[in-house]
Amino acid sequence: MIIKGGVVYDPANGVLGEEMDICIDGGVVAEAGGGPTIDARGMLVLPGGVDAHSHIAGPKLNAGRIMRPDDGRIGTEPLRGLCRPCTGYTVPNSPAIGYRYARMGYTTVFEAATPIIESRHTHEELEAIPILDKGALTLFGSNWTVMECVGEKDLPKLSAYVAWGLRASRGYGVKIVNPGGGEAWGFGSNVKGLHDPVPEFNVTPAEIIHELARANERLCLPHSIHLHFNNLGKPGNYTTAIETLDLLKDIVPSRDRQAVHVTHMQFSAYGGTGWRDFESKAPEIADYYNKNDHATMDMGQIIFGSATTMTADGPLEYANARLLHQKWSNHDIELEESSGVVPLVYIRGSPVNAVQWAIGLELALLTEDPWKVLLTTDNPNGGPFVKYPGVIALLMSHKRREEEMAKLPEMLSKRSVIGSIDRELGWAEIAVMTRAAPARVLGLKEKGHLGVGADGDVSIYEIDPREVDPGSDPALVERAFTQAKYTIKAGEVVSRDGEIVGIPQGRTFWTDASVPEEDMARLMTSLKEKFEKYYSIQMSNYMVQEAYLSRPVAVRAGVEVAQ
Amino acid sequence: MRTITLRPLASHLVPIEAEALTADGLAKLSVEEMETLDLWLGNRRTKLCDLFAIETDGGPAPIEETTIILDGDFSRVKRIGERMSAGEIHALGDLGMHAGAGMSGGNILVKGSASDWLGREMRGGSIEVKGDAGNYVGSGYRGERCGMRGGSILVRGSAGVFLGEHMCGGSIHVLGNAGDYPGAANGGGTISIGGDTHLPGAEMTKGSISVGGRTTVLPGFQFQDEVEVEGLTYRRYVGDLVENGKGELLLALAQQSA
Amino acid sequence: MIHEDVICSFCGCLCDDIRVETNDEGIVKVKGACRLGSSKILGHGPGHGRISKPMIRQDGELVEVGYQEAYDRAASILKAAKRPLLYGWASTVCEAHEEGVLLAEEIGAVIDSTATVCHGPSVIGVEEKGLAGATLGQVKNRADLILFWGCNPAEAHPRHMRRYSSNSTGRFTPEGRKGRTVVVIDVRETRTARLADRFIRIDPGTDYQVISALRLILAGKAEILGDEVCGLPKGMLVDLVDILKKARFGAIFFGLGLTHSRGRYKNIDCALSLTAELNAHTKFMIMPMRGHYNVAGIGQVMAWEGGYPMSVDYSRGAPYFNPGETAACDLLARREADAALIIASDPASNFPRSIVEALAEIPVIQIDPYENPTTLLADVVIPCAIAGVEVEGTAYRMDGLPLRMRKVIESDYPSDEEILKEIRESARRLGDDH
Repeated sequence: MIIKGGVVYDPANGVLGEEMDICIDGGVVAEAGGGPTIDARGMLVLPGGVDAHSHIAGPKLNAGRIMRPDDGRIGTEPLRGLCRPCTGYTVPNSPAIGYRYARMGYTTVFEAATPIIESRHTHEELEAIPILDKGALTLFGSNWTVMECVGEKDLPKLSAYVAWGLRASRGYGVKIVNPGGGEAWGFGSNVKGLHDPVPEFNVTPAEIIHELARANERLCLPHSIHLHFNNLGKPGNYTTAIETLDLLKDIVPSRDRQAVHVTHMQFSAYGGTGWRDFESKAPEIADYYNKNDHATMDMGQIIFGSATTMTADGPLEYANARLLHQKWSNHDIELEESSGVVPLVYIRGSPVNAVQWAIGLELALLTEDPWKVLLTTDNPNGGPFVKYPGVIALLMSHKRREEEMAKLPEMLSKRSVIGSIDRELGWAEIAVMTRAAPARVLGLKEKGHLGVGADGDVSIYEIDPREVDPGSDPALVERAFTQAKYTIKAGEVVSRDGEIVGIPQGRTFWTDASVPEEDMARLMTSLKEKFEKYYSIQMSNYMVQEAYLSRPVAVRAGVEVAQ
Repeated sequence: MRTITLRPLASHLVPIEAEALTADGLAKLSVEEMETLDLWLGNRRTKLCDLFAIETDGGPAPIEETTIILDGDFSRVKRIGERMSAGEIHALGDLGMHAGAGMSGGNILVKGSASDWLGREMRGGSIEVKGDAGNYVGSGYRGERCGMRGGSILVRGSAGVFLGEHMCGGSIHVLGNAGDYPGAANGGGTISIGGDTHLPGAEMTKGSISVGGRTTVLPGFQFQDEVEVEGLTYRRYVGDLVENGKGELLLALAQQSA
Repeated sequence: MIHEDVICSFCGCLCDDIRVETNDEGIVKVKGACRLGSSKILGHGPGHGRISKPMIRQDGELVEVGYQEAYDRAASILKAAKRPLLYGWASTVCEAHEEGVLLAEEIGAVIDSTATVCHGPSVIGVEEKGLAGATLGQVKNRADLILFWGCNPAEAHPRHMRRYSSNSTGRFTPEGRKGRTVVVIDVRETRTARLADRFIRIDPGTDYQVISALRLILAGKAEILGDEVCGLPKGMLVDLVDILKKARFGAIFFGLGLTHSRGRYKNIDCALSLTAELNAHTKFMIMPMRGHYNVAGIGQVMAWEGGYPMSVDYSRGAPYFNPGETAACDLLARREADAALIIASDPASNFPRSIVEALAEIPVIQIDPYENPTTLLADVVIPCAIAGVEVEGTAYRMDGLPLRMRKVIESDYPSDEEILKEIRESARRLGDDH
């Protein structure tokens, strides 16, 4: 197909608002092409949206659905056209996830966290999501084998385990959540800080993070470690954030990317000593990011209204449930992880929620380089992904932020600098934060841009960036991004004016990393013992089988992989 | 005043869903317009005229001056009166599930018996049932914290289980017995049961339940004192203390057993 | 041929260490499974009541027909129905469940699983309170206190205690049974009770009050309780709470004794809260003892496909969930269902008599490998391959852990997944008459 005359923003290739044609041939962007034409004159053309961190599939999302029929009935849509029935607002059913992302112009979404032993479940759900290309990040941070290798200072064996774990889970990258905390939570406690040794294993979160980062680079994985800090959600935790970031300064990335991606930074940018003097430390975090280049982050913006928190940070969820007097689901996973799910509501009248709202925006606006900040809400922890267009409007319009702040408690101005920020992000920056940067951060070479050879994923929005001043017309911006005029996936129109017109099956990316045989052999000896003594299932039934990925894309990596 | 009378054309075991049947929905319509309204018979979208005969004594009228009369067996017709804000609905016989769900005003009168989920998530208005009512009268939806918020329900006969579950406002009066667990997880509102029941106020935090007949009492309800209400003496309890509840349970002195 | 690490397809334990020996005739030996699992796996041949060909009832008698005719007949029955029910699901794999949901969407049916007569109340309890849980390996490696409430694993889940709970050994539980305290609470002294360190007999229908009392004691409010709670001495309950609090890791397992006694989901709801509240003192988890090997699976599949784990009504094109209204027993008790497809379950054996009578009055399509009492009610009978023995696919253990069931013998029968797909395509060909 040919997309004619759109105003294209493709920042990865230096295209910033040029009127040009985009040709797609054989599902990829090509120099020239034929086929159907789409008239995109006067419209904004971007690469298909890439969401690098969203909870879209797996055990804890389903636990959220099961415990929230109250959420289910909110987003109910009947069978219509190509679309199967949909339910849910913060915890939609799998078909809804595909349709709703596609309508917004997103074409690639990565599941934030999958526990290895239950990854069969994650993949069953990913397969049930139509249209989108996807992948999942595998949890390693509270894993017995990981902690033992870290304690033994055995990097080759740790690397072998990471490679094996990615294959066992058909995962794409290394996810670390409150490292060590998941194990401590196995007996009801938590780790208090980076240097607090994990009970029974006597390694510290700092060691776990650092060694996993080294293993990640030793394996030349496409993505860096993807990290949810310790002490998430606690007032004063910004010090943990900075301390952890410092810890990783010596990590040399094996690829042209960051050494660490920090997820939902908003929840880790907290000052104060308690909820009463709770304040934003986003300026400090942004300052750090302005001075250092080894890290990226995603926002974790909160959206006022209903949310469902779900995370592998088991102890955090328990604390949430007690604080908010909410129903609470917990799921600890043998030898590997913990997790929890708690519904909550972010309220404008709440001083704490108001500051949280401000923090996400401050992070994006005070960090100078948009390539370091991805737009997320940690869906659905901060809010559902369908609200991304509202976040875009807030980032692009100071006026919109003022309108919102007028509804928030006055004390906000004393706890956050959001009111004093004039910066308004432009089209290029938004294109970076929602497409180019997530793809680069994840190491997806054919995503997030429209250069020749890129996947033919394009979103066309009914808004002319040359005519509209997003700062003064945020409502128009929000409306445009809510519903793409066209969403194109691998050269096929899948959504037109909000109607789903194509439901191709997306591909699942996973990383197939190789290690020296002797490292794998040593790993196998200790793994076999784990299965004999500790796991409740047999090793031969453990790995995710091929049958679970109908369209796999195995990205090669490994100790011997060249740059 | 406008009266619209509906008579079922046949009896069906498969339930009908008729949320279009409210004064809000019908008051301004002509009979021809009403006849073409969509109702559901199981999984079949069906025109109203294929299910009911309609008669009316006038043309379009204000909602609050419109009365719908349900003449016949409506026990399998669900969702009548859903979200109504004004006007009257009189069922001369029985009425199906979810009658008056989410209503905010107006009045429903059931001369026969009402089925389950009567007045679910009600916000205002009133419901009266001359006969019995089913389970989940004046309750909420699964997983929701707050169900009925306002309005009043009167059941002259008996009611089923989970009366007023998750109630947080309004009032429910049952003159007869109520099934197990009335007022479960209540955060407000008033429930009175003339007859017997079993384990009222489980996990209640606020509100008031009074029981005229016999009942068992949960361990989390602590006896306070005896009070007189309208000439009758009640034992007054506070609970449910498993939730640090400050709900009030009044048990008629003459009748209660531990 | 020897097949190692085969996964048993009987109960929610989903033991995956079974050794199956096959030859040209079929399965000859099963090693490692309990007797329930063994007989399920062994009982696959023609001599075991295996239905050989599809059948359609004509003039009261079941007459053999070809598969396509059976599919078409099933499709036309379902399409003609105004409130069709698709029921069962618990003994087949998730790939079939997904087809079931698609069929429900296609024909506007109500779809429900055997959870409705089993742990349905547990699901409703979870909707109120959430569930503090873990995988069974956590119990094995950490639990020093096990509480079985209203369940009898010694008989219903025979390998549970050795593999996962009271008698298992793990990293932090090297002493196995000796290092554990096992408590049983039930209305009668079961075999499991006789193996326990402490057995508390409670009166039927009093679980809610007892759990409520335990919660009060836990919250430091023991003084408001009388000397007895439902016949149990207060001192006994105070002792029990003390034992629970002193655990390093407590695991509560519960079964039909709790879900089916008076109060039903309120009992579970209360037990879930007790567990959550125990976490303020020490680590505690709770788990329903799921009966059929993949009843957890149909719940998972229905939740991600349609938003709710059971009792979903697709008649108006959008999923509607309201157990008490949309559960299989509700439809049948009220005589609302005018056709039913029964798959991977045997309601004629498990449902109350009045509900079986309701089934007898409507057209019934049965998909099953075996003849059973439900066959007597069926108007169309479609024999299928046995999931987990002749067909691969996913199943979810009682703790939510997913495993891939193996295929150990070949079969000429179509799988449930194939059959459902054929019925759905046949229904689609019949066109739209809504």
